[in-house]
Amino acid sequence: MPNSPCGTDMRAPRLHNRSFLIGWFAVFVLLSFLPRAAFGASMTVRDALGRNIEVSLPIQRIVALNSDVLEVLRTLKAEDRVVGVFSEMVRERGFWGALVERPKVGSWRDPDLEAIASLKPDIVIAYSRNPGPLLEKKMALFGIQVLRLDLYKVETLEQEVQVLGQLLGREKEAALFCDWHRRHIEMIREKIDGALTRPSVYIESYTDYHAAGPGSGGHEMCLLAGGRNIAAGLSIPYPRVTPEWVVSRNPEVIVKAAAYGNGYALKDRAPFNRRRDAILHRPAWRHIAAVASGQVHVMDSAIWTGPRAIIGIAYMVRWIHPALFPDLNPEALHREYLETFQGVSYRGAFVSDGLREAGR
Amino acid sequence: MLKVMNLYFNYNDTRVLEGIVANVEKGRVLSIVGPNGTGKTTLLKCIAGILKPAAGTVVIDGHDADGMARRELAKHLGYVPQSMPVRFPATVFETVLAGRRPYIAWRPSRDDLERTAEIIEEMNLADLAMRDIDQLSGGQAQKVLLARALAQDTLYLLLDEPTSNLDLRHELEMLEVIITLAKRKDMGVLMAMHDLNLSARFSDTILMLYQGKIFCSGKPSEAMTPENIREVYGVEAAVRQENGYLQIQPLRCADLSPSRGNRIPPYVKDQED
Amino acid sequence: MNNIADDLCRGYKARADARALFLAAAFFLLLTAMAIGLCIGASGMEFREVIASLLKDTGRGHSIIWMLRLPRIVMAMLVGFGMGLAGAVFQAILRNPLASPFTLGVGSAAGFGAVSVILVFGGGFQTWYIACGAFLFSLISAALILAVAKMKRASSETMILTGIAQMFLFSSLTSLLQYMGTMEQVHEVVFWFFGSLSKAGWREIGLAAAMILLPFPALLWRAWDFNLLSSGDESALALGVNVKRLRMSAVVAASLVTAGGICFTGVIGFVGLVAPHITRMVIGNDHQFLLPASGLVGALIVVFADTLGRTVWAPQVIPIGIVTSFIGVPFFFYLLMKRTREYW
Repeated sequence: MPNSPCGTDMRAPRLHNRSFLIGWFAVFVLLSFLPRAAFGASMTVRDALGRNIEVSLPIQRIVALNSDVLEVLRTLKAEDRVVGVFSEMVRERGFWGALVERPKVGSWRDPDLEAIASLKPDIVIAYSRNPGPLLEKKMALFGIQVLRLDLYKVETLEQEVQVLGQLLGREKEAALFCDWHRRHIEMIREKIDGALTRPSVYIESYTDYHAAGPGSGGHEMCLLAGGRNIAAGLSIPYPRVTPEWVVSRNPEVIVKAAAYGNGYALKDRAPFNRRRDAILHRPAWRHIAAVASGQVHVMDSAIWTGPRAIIGIAYMVRWIHPALFPDLNPEALHREYLETFQGVSYRGAFVSDGLREAGR
Repeated sequence: MLKVMNLYFNYNDTRVLEGIVANVEKGRVLSIVGPNGTGKTTLLKCIAGILKPAAGTVVIDGHDADGMARRELAKHLGYVPQSMPVRFPATVFETVLAGRRPYIAWRPSRDDLERTAEIIEEMNLADLAMRDIDQLSGGQAQKVLLARALAQDTLYLLLDEPTSNLDLRHELEMLEVIITLAKRKDMGVLMAMHDLNLSARFSDTILMLYQGKIFCSGKPSEAMTPENIREVYGVEAAVRQENGYLQIQPLRCADLSPSRGNRIPPYVKDQED
Repeated sequence: MNNIADDLCRGYKARADARALFLAAAFFLLLTAMAIGLCIGASGMEFREVIASLLKDTGRGHSIIWMLRLPRIVMAMLVGFGMGLAGAVFQAILRNPLASPFTLGVGSAAGFGAVSVILVFGGGFQTWYIACGAFLFSLISAALILAVAKMKRASSETMILTGIAQMFLFSSLTSLLQYMGTMEQVHEVVFWFFGSLSKAGWREIGLAAAMILLPFPALLWRAWDFNLLSSGDESALALGVNVKRLRMSAVVAASLVTAGGICFTGVIGFVGLVAPHITRMVIGNDHQFLLPASGLVGALIVVFADTLGRTVWAPQVIPIGIVTSFIGVPFFFYLLMKRTREYW
């Protein structure tokens, strides 16, 4: 019989005391083995950095630190759980609709941690690299969880959407999107694998004369669209090249990434067309096959990398392999995505006009 | 003749020079003496056009200095500063050649080069001509500055404490050169002097400044009396003739009477360093 | 004139001739560097082909040489010349051997102008907007310097202080704008600050040439006054130089030269500091020779740096501003080791 802390002898009947103690002991044991339904369940998921993270459920209050997260949350029909958003989202008022009213927590790269904490979220979802690991440390002080998801890499998008779906109890919506996504990705992949040629493509990043080297989103998009990136052999993600080099490699298609910040709000394709024309008129570039045949295209960042990369790939595949995809209508795809998954109507401009109808 | 008439100069609302009058005749030497801070250097700079006086005129051989362009003025007045900041390399020849600037349109002419060479030779600087000025001793550097002013081919020379950084021999040498030039080339010399004995010995006229005003002026024997020296410098001194020169021997600090109001003259920092 | 004076004159003449020789040598070296740069490029043209393309009328080779390589090299030469020239002028009027075209804040102001355009116009800007923005703000910064100089004093210390204040002002404003921008805009800004010779076409070259070469004769005309400035404002005034007016007009001219270069190419640092130094070490401080020579040396450096940046990591290009910064490092170490006297 254990001594009581006060050291006094307990002169109660022995049998009564033992069962009393055993009873409490059993309760403790039981509690430690029970799933924590009384305090909430948890789930272990894989984050964008490849780590296995244990996330406590349920998740009712979310702070979304970037547009990709917010977009996926809307796809999963979980936008009512969003209690805080990154400040830059107000630039795309038209696209986000009522979500614009949600409290702002600062820049996606450098949020106001106090603002986040004051909203008492269950979880903060951010990119794997930005903001830095300090976010976890600081949020832990308030008992707020942090989940790192990239959601802009095509290969891992579906996994991550599923992770989020599971965490939010939105598996059905996640499956809907992933099926749709997979269907189109597979369809494109199949046709490309069977292609006889792989046209050479020059992908230019947002800054002029900076190609999309290995490791960049543009390079991935090119591969998925069945193109041969002329910068594939370079060493860094955004290498600067000379105009002469592009002329000498003579690509058959040129795709430029443009960032207007809000393609959704554009009235027409004029800004993209202007950019396209500027490229067409670059000195000595008329000797490039792509320029000579008018295969120069400009694409908005909204469909470049992110949850809508499939749209960007659809456009690119039409430009690079027009003969293989006579029926593919990227605009219709985009409309479908926006109406079905985002719950907004299709609007805006996202690419430049084609100069020649595909006649290969 | 170089005439200074009623010159006033202020520095930030402080009156530094009041009603200065001076006359420098060709071939004569006028020394400005006075304790530190009385405005000797300021006066020279006002005359040379480096500082702009608040009131008063400078007339050079009948021409009003105010109406002259700076370049024109540099053909009349040669200014020798106390020292020269050295930041970039320059040879002695180049430095003296710079004195020809008032005559140089774009590049030095043959004439300018010859003149420069002559002056360097006259001043016995020929051996140093191609050396950099930062490698010269104090005495040599001062000579170079004098040579530069002479290269301006002016009728009047203004010297700001030409001997203050020099050793005994170079002090004498410098002043002897100046006097010789003054007599030979009939140049009027105006110099601010620190040393009373040297100024007494080498000047024709003394201008004694005190607190920005003229205290007295006249021949050295007239101006440098023990009474004047006591008033202006606050020093008891003995003045006598020896070896043909006026000798001023400081004896002790004077007991300054309170009724005179022994205000310490304001120290005016030179404006353009 | 007697013998000694004669010798002296001859000695001076000999030095002047040596300096003129250096000028000629620098000029020919520059032409050589430009020719070499012309023969190097990503399309790997052989020497014969380069010559043929130069002389031909049309064709891909012709386009590459005349539309891509030649403008690049000519622009490099122009900007380098401008930086060298402006650097020498700024060092003279600020009487500071560590001055450069960017000491008075022109670079920071130009950067701010460029960044403002990038942010205001978002993705819709044309490349020449940036040049306009950069140029406009360069002039604003020069105007600010002049305004302060007029109000207070046109001394070198006043100008340097104003310049440093401006540098901080425009840098912080630039950082603020960058902070508010999107990732793409930030990239664009960063790359602008690296400098780039790819964007210059013949029209830009024409404009840059006007802004860089037109003030040159005016500055050369004042070469002797710059010589005098180095002996102090006092001496210069006494020798007939209107120091205030000289400083202010030199600031205008040199800022124009600087702005004319960097508004098209972005900031190309170090050249404006290093070229006058190297030149001065060889031929001394006579600005009659220092101004053009410093320009030529600057041009040489930039042409060489561009060729280097295009070759070392081909086909990737190391931005010109980065290459010139690297050149500065060994140069300054050399200065540290070799300096025997207390000044330059």
